[in-house]
Amino acid sequence: MYTLRRWWDRHGLRTGLVFLALGSAWVLRQTQGAAVFEVYQRVSRPFESMPTSAERIETAEMQELQQRLTELESQNQQLQEMLGYVQSRPTEGITAPIIGRSADHWWQQVTLGRGSRDGIQVGGIVAGPGGLVGRITHVTPSTSRVLLISDPTSQVGVTISRSRHMGYMRGQAANRAVMEFFDKVPDVQPGDVVSTSSFSQLFPPGFPIGRVESVNLSKSPAPEAVIELSAPINALEWVVVYPNSRTEVSNNP
Amino acid sequence: MIKSLLFNLAQSGIYTSPVMNWVVTAFSVLLCLFISPTRLPGMELLGVGPNWLLIWVVAWSIRRTVWQGAIAGLVLGLIQDGMTAPHPTHAISLAVVGMLTARIQKQRYIQEDFISVALIVFGMAVLAETITAVQFSLQGIGASAYAAHRALAEVWFYHQRIALSSAILSSLWAPVVYYPLNRWWQQTNAVEPSQT
Repeated sequence: MYTLRRWWDRHGLRTGLVFLALGSAWVLRQTQGAAVFEVYQRVSRPFESMPTSAERIETAEMQELQQRLTELESQNQQLQEMLGYVQSRPTEGITAPIIGRSADHWWQQVTLGRGSRDGIQVGGIVAGPGGLVGRITHVTPSTSRVLLISDPTSQVGVTISRSRHMGYMRGQAANRAVMEFFDKVPDVQPGDVVSTSSFSQLFPPGFPIGRVESVNLSKSPAPEAVIELSAPINALEWVVVYPNSRTEVSNNP
Repeated sequence: MIKSLLFNLAQSGIYTSPVMNWVVTAFSVLLCLFISPTRLPGMELLGVGPNWLLIWVVAWSIRRTVWQGAIAGLVLGLIQDGMTAPHPTHAISLAVVGMLTARIQKQRYIQEDFISVALIVFGMAVLAETITAVQFSLQGIGASAYAAHRALAEVWFYHQRIALSSAILSSLWAPVVYYPLNRWWQQTNAVEPSQT
């Protein structure tokens, strides 16, 4: 008993602090760092930029319009062939500033300065000038975290707008992504516009994503194409979040 | 002027109280946490920034025992898990970094100046990214072919790129964290006297 008390006298404070530190770290981990991001949002508010009219964004917007046009033309053609097509593009979105990037190097994430208080929900679709950017994976009252489509774990069902050949795409960490086709001999050529397909479980169909940069048809097990994403993800400062109708799918990051 | 003020404060004992010491330490961790998601101009190389939490763990463990280093790495790793994604965990790599930094026989091989701290941070950054890459590879082996995971070749290709740029940037920015913290801990005698 006496030795126990002496040990406690000597190491009590230190032990307490160690448990306090471990405990609070665990709480932060379980709450996905909610407290940290809330304070971070407050601290970084004075540094939020206004919407820029930089040329880069403008060209990206141009590209997006062009791609949408191609997509719409192609869709229109299909519509004429097939009656009963339902346009499922969400209409109104929430504009949100990007206040932070990923806190480590392996994940391609951004943090937005709007959260559940502004109506953002997990699974929401994030788009910027240029097209699709990512998906909301976590929400706190005034921030939310986005898993970008350039992250290797984020897989999107995509289609070539011109020929409607389907495949899925995984990110490659910069503004490049790799598309794997379901067909053995897809009709695809560099410059083709890529958009989300109706097979995508997480994204609504018809969102512009990017352009085909190069094609490797001899790749095994499936032909591959390198896609250049049209949204300038590293230069983005504002994005628009659309509510997602396909939120019943699991949202593991 | 400021120096004498600091000295007077140190003499009066406010500085040396352990509570104050822990508050300052926790505050420095908080600063590192807040600076991690930002990308200030000049802090980026190939889209990768310095690993501030790793710098902090090295600065903490450099004059402490192995256990203290490990616990600091564990705590900061769990917090970083919360800020990014919990699988794979960052706690393992940061705890290993803390233990190894404390274990290095600094008196014999390395002197405690900026350059050696930068060197330690360089090595530890490469090590930490390697541990993470190994975890990703194991995850990929365990996962089914069509589940969302990273391909083995992609993990290691990406590892080369970020390990190098993160190591360079972290070692360049290391003194910014190390110098004030070490100064503070030395003044409050919080660090262990160097053993021989």
